[in-house]
Amino acid sequence: MSESSSKSKSLNLNPAPTLQCKDLHEYLKSRSPQFLETLYNYPTICLAVYRELPELARHFVIRLLFVEQPVPQAVVTSWVSQTYAREQSKACEALSELSVWQEAPIPGGMPGWMLSQSFKKNLKVALLGGGRAWSMSMSLEPDGRARDVSFLDAYALERWECVLHYMVGSAQTEGISADAVRILLHAGLMTRDAEDGSAVITRAGFQFLLLSTAKQVWLFLQHYLQTAERRSLSAAECLAFLYQLSFSTLGKDYSTEGMSNNMLVFLQHLREFGLVYQRKRKAGRFYPTRLALNIANVRGDGGPEFSLQGAGAPSGYIIVETNYRVYAYTQTTLQVALLGLFTELVYRFPNLVVGVVTRESVRQALRGGITADQILHYLHQHAHPQMLKSETGGIRSTSLLPPTVVDQIRLWEDERNRFTYTEGVVYNQFLSQADFVVLRDYAKQQGVLTWQSERARTMVVTRASHDDVKKFWKRYSKTS
Amino acid sequence: MADDEQPSDSSLLVIIVDTNPNQRYITEDPKVLTGCLDAVIAFANSHLMQKSRNQLAVIGCHFHKSEYLYPSPGKPLDVRQIDGQYELFTLVEKTIKMRLVNLVKSQPLDEKPGESLLAGALAMALCFIARMRREATPGLKTSSRILIVTGSSDTAAQYINYMNVFFTAQKQQVLIDVCSLDKHLSLLQQGCDITGGLYLKVPSLEGLLQYLLWVFLPEASERTKLVLPGRGRVDYRAACFCHRELLTIGYVCSVCLSVFCKFSPICTTCHTVFKIGGPLPIKPKKKRMKV
Repeated sequence: MSESSSKSKSLNLNPAPTLQCKDLHEYLKSRSPQFLETLYNYPTICLAVYRELPELARHFVIRLLFVEQPVPQAVVTSWVSQTYAREQSKACEALSELSVWQEAPIPGGMPGWMLSQSFKKNLKVALLGGGRAWSMSMSLEPDGRARDVSFLDAYALERWECVLHYMVGSAQTEGISADAVRILLHAGLMTRDAEDGSAVITRAGFQFLLLSTAKQVWLFLQHYLQTAERRSLSAAECLAFLYQLSFSTLGKDYSTEGMSNNMLVFLQHLREFGLVYQRKRKAGRFYPTRLALNIANVRGDGGPEFSLQGAGAPSGYIIVETNYRVYAYTQTTLQVALLGLFTELVYRFPNLVVGVVTRESVRQALRGGITADQILHYLHQHAHPQMLKSETGGIRSTSLLPPTVVDQIRLWEDERNRFTYTEGVVYNQFLSQADFVVLRDYAKQQGVLTWQSERARTMVVTRASHDDVKKFWKRYSKTS
Repeated sequence: MADDEQPSDSSLLVIIVDTNPNQRYITEDPKVLTGCLDAVIAFANSHLMQKSRNQLAVIGCHFHKSEYLYPSPGKPLDVRQIDGQYELFTLVEKTIKMRLVNLVKSQPLDEKPGESLLAGALAMALCFIARMRREATPGLKTSSRILIVTGSSDTAAQYINYMNVFFTAQKQQVLIDVCSLDKHLSLLQQGCDITGGLYLKVPSLEGLLQYLLWVFLPEASERTKLVLPGRGRVDYRAACFCHRELLTIGYVCSVCLSVFCKFSPICTTCHTVFKIGGPLPIKPKKKRMKV
């Protein structure tokens, strides 16, 4: 008998892994506790971290906020009803991971929880006041050319679309700096073409385009922070500044006074991406835009997009019908190009594009590494307000897209994933049928048999149980 | 009562603060009001801190009128950051304090402070919630609730108004929470029970903020997960329409269901005339013939 270990990879078929978009929680989790400790010296970060916590964890923090001594762990457990014990442990885990609280012994010898000193102090500052003002909110005399909210929205949209347009290689290639290109390359969203060295979009790049604007900005900034560390910009300082921006008020101006040189450089970069507006480089004041304000709400997944819209201007433009037709009220080539990724475009009018979702078009997208979830998410978040409204009247479904379309797109994805890979070891070339049967029955008994064929006298067991099965075989062959 | 278990995208909280000067805790020591107000403001800000889309309104309830303390009608105050506090929180604090001063100043001096207009304030809160719902972006899930912080004593004078407001709130799926600072309030407790909110009588005013944060901060979907004070027994006595007294047994108009403590031949609410004068005569029991 021979055994050949066939090491099949447990990767999925897609050659390009799907794009990972970490939220703040995951981003911070991957950083060292020391880094977190420095971050918690900024009230804004504490506020942002607080909002990112699971809902139960938020209540734990607020209940412990005004307690100066450690609280027994058993007491914290008793706050949550028994049926939600799992959520409770998840909340505790999240708090420990982000070192928001630490374990601290209580005089009685019981284990207790204690909020991190700096986190507690700075969250209190953010909530109740006290401490130093954030650097950028120095008093300014009123701006002669004050900008209103709609202007800022338009500006932010234009700047950000400039980056996106550059990615899809539309005609506009001006207005994007070498730094931005470097970040796109670093993030793997674009890659240098082998022939002429020009930047071309990657599969990850297309997936990036399908994300909501808030997520795009956040992902982009994550990569910016990674490259920033190499350029001797302190990531903690940058992150703190970003969150200062996100907790500022739209339509108000802030002063650049008291900002370090590094931060001024950072500000210029943010200005380029449309996160802040500055009339002139040396203007001494800047206006945060909605892009910057939305950094803190990355978590709003699944919901329609609220980011780049003013008080009453709806941003959605896509209507999906049950007959797989997609109507998109748009004029921008970018949105048409994105829609073309997974639909077959049929008609094009000055302000309307009509497409059909077909098996072929979806499979084309899936082959490009885009997942069904990403497609559905895109359709969902850009849904036309009319679709949002129609939902309330009829049957209450989880998504506002027609269920047939949702199911079919998922089925099309599933039909590509017919293989499941398990690592295993093949046993074959048994000398007798009896030997085979003995070993097969043993493996079956242990519950480790993956596949067997009596005619070919071949069987496959899981990799982990290989040693065990081998030992049994040796014992068996010795005795017989 | 909120039936959906999934957490909402945003939650709207309307806080009604009773600022009537004839509340017992204020007449004993006026400075306590400042402490209570600070606690309410801190609580309001913690609500805004929970989620970035959370919304807040604060209504001041006086004996002559109720008024929005936050958000202020018209243009918001131009507030710049003064210390480490989040600018929005500073704005909330400053607006509430400024507008409360205006409210207190506007009270008629020659009038003796009467009862707080809590039912009116509740109606205002419901109007505000209705407006926010109308203006909300379609597709956004919003849960709303009202919190009443009051130290007034229980009176049945506004009984009908209360009941109207309570049942409207129930229909609108708005929770009403009540935090009583002084006495037990059986009428408002009924409102909590009807709408599925929580009722708490604070044992001591010193720890007010902690009580608020512990009990009233979790929104409806989170309340099932946490261990919170139970409903207890609710006093469901109705107030009669003639003298506003709480009754256990009374007369009920068979047409409009108005409650009276004494019999009257004409219902004051729907003007129905009852033909039978006086209580039903007790019929002498027919004695069965013994066989």
